[in-house]
Amino acid sequence: MEQIIANGLYLGAQYALIALGLTLIFSLMNVLNFAHGQMYVFGGFVTYTVVVQLGLPFIVGLFASAVVLAIMGAAIEKFLFAPVVRRSKRDESTMLLAAGVAFFLDAVILLFFGEKQRGVPKIVNGVLNLDMRIIMPYDRILIGVLAILLIVAFIAFMNYSRTGRAMRALAQDKMAAQLMGVNVSRYSMIGFALGAMLAGLVGGLLVTITGVNLGMGGPTSVKAFLMIMIGGAGVISGAIAGGFILGMMESVGLTVLSAYGDITYLVIFASLMVFLAVRPQGLMGKPWG
Amino acid sequence: MTKILSVENVELYYDHIYALKGVSIDVAEGETVALIGANGAGKSSILRAITGLRPIKSGQINYEGQRLDGTSAAEVVRKGISMVPEGRRAFPLMSVKDNLLMGAFTRTDKAEIEQTLENVLTRFPRLRERYNQQANTMSGGEQQMMVIGRALMAKPKLLLLDEPSLGIAPKLVQDIARAIVAISRDEKVSILLVEQNSRMALSISNRAYALSTGSIALSGNSKDLMNDDRIKAAYLGGEL
Repeated sequence: MEQIIANGLYLGAQYALIALGLTLIFSLMNVLNFAHGQMYVFGGFVTYTVVVQLGLPFIVGLFASAVVLAIMGAAIEKFLFAPVVRRSKRDESTMLLAAGVAFFLDAVILLFFGEKQRGVPKIVNGVLNLDMRIIMPYDRILIGVLAILLIVAFIAFMNYSRTGRAMRALAQDKMAAQLMGVNVSRYSMIGFALGAMLAGLVGGLLVTITGVNLGMGGPTSVKAFLMIMIGGAGVISGAIAGGFILGMMESVGLTVLSAYGDITYLVIFASLMVFLAVRPQGLMGKPWG
Repeated sequence: MTKILSVENVELYYDHIYALKGVSIDVAEGETVALIGANGAGKSSILRAITGLRPIKSGQINYEGQRLDGTSAAEVVRKGISMVPEGRRAFPLMSVKDNLLMGAFTRTDKAEIEQTLENVLTRFPRLRERYNQQANTMSGGEQQMMVIGRALMAKPKLLLLDEPSLGIAPKLVQDIARAIVAISRDEKVSILLVEQNSRMALSISNRAYALSTGSIALSGNSKDLMNDDRIKAAYLGGEL
């Protein structure tokens, strides 16, 4: 039991970070970033390149993932999404664009990093063993703690910094935010960069545990969408709740349902359908909080 | 008195339907000017043109002797023009504090922002009571006070108020009218007030323009207009 909860928390923290980036972009621009999973994979490969190929410390790799993905996010927003949002009044246009970006990033990843599964050697060795009730390798604990610290830092940034406040204002009332002097295009770009950066950071964290490969992008995007649908799209607390709930469901499913075959995600999808039929806006469904 | 704002022959269209056909108004320093008129007469369109939320088709807008039209909304605030938009447009999920701080978004001096915040909280004691409360849990009147306070946080030289009495309990309309008079008296600010409540608007302004379907129908001193038969018939109903 304790083991399931520990696994769920560890997984949930990573998931929550992914969902936060996705929900931030959605709330600011009304863009569903289908390429979010690819950004995560890209972040994993950047850390891999820096740590394994260049032989630099893990923290440098993580930092590189954050910087590369932030720049990539800013560029994708400025040169692709911003012009489309400006010219098209239909939401489908940005969805198609996001799907296109996902395929494009898949191709870029293939070109630069190849099709092989890549991982980073353990950053710390050893296993925590509490009376055989909780067994958790130290590297997982470290990665889980780092993820939680990043979540806390993100929330603090959104709540207490001038930039974070401006992004919340923009998400809640675009016109009023403009009247306060918020430059919509600049802050949309900052938001997109920040969202992409979060995806890249999770990639950099998880590449040390599970590794990354080319095929992980799409499924990760789908999981991220599940999370923000559970929690309510565009809401910080919803993304965090959705992330931890999915992490916990996966953890429970893999333990309890494993006897019946690989049906965890079948059960998750089925229960999500029922849940969304009852509560289509998700747990905390409202514009932004 | 020197003019702080002049709108000259402005035309504004929504798609192909005109909202303003050649409107000219001006506001002098320290003055409170009212724009009255029926729904759809173009009052709010004038404010949207000034703040850059809507591009104008022809004419020009000058502010402090410089061309203002073509300036983006985010830049207009930096020049010293704050607007309280129609329907209040509070940031619903933010606290009163964060709403007010958003008003000072263009300013950087922390000590001066604190000073302005203190002034606003003293002017609207209700906001101090509700300081950490989420905006959408407050009444319409309280939210209206808050968004007026939010606009003052930018230390504007020109304050644009769009229908501050709309959807507010009648008792609170008086409070808001008093607050506007007090702001005009205490702060170095010119006010352009758009109101459907013509009686209120005329009673607290120096001059007024009456709009009718996109052009100025009448203008003059508010006191004179209050007694003008045409104004009485068109905007004040039979209540006088």
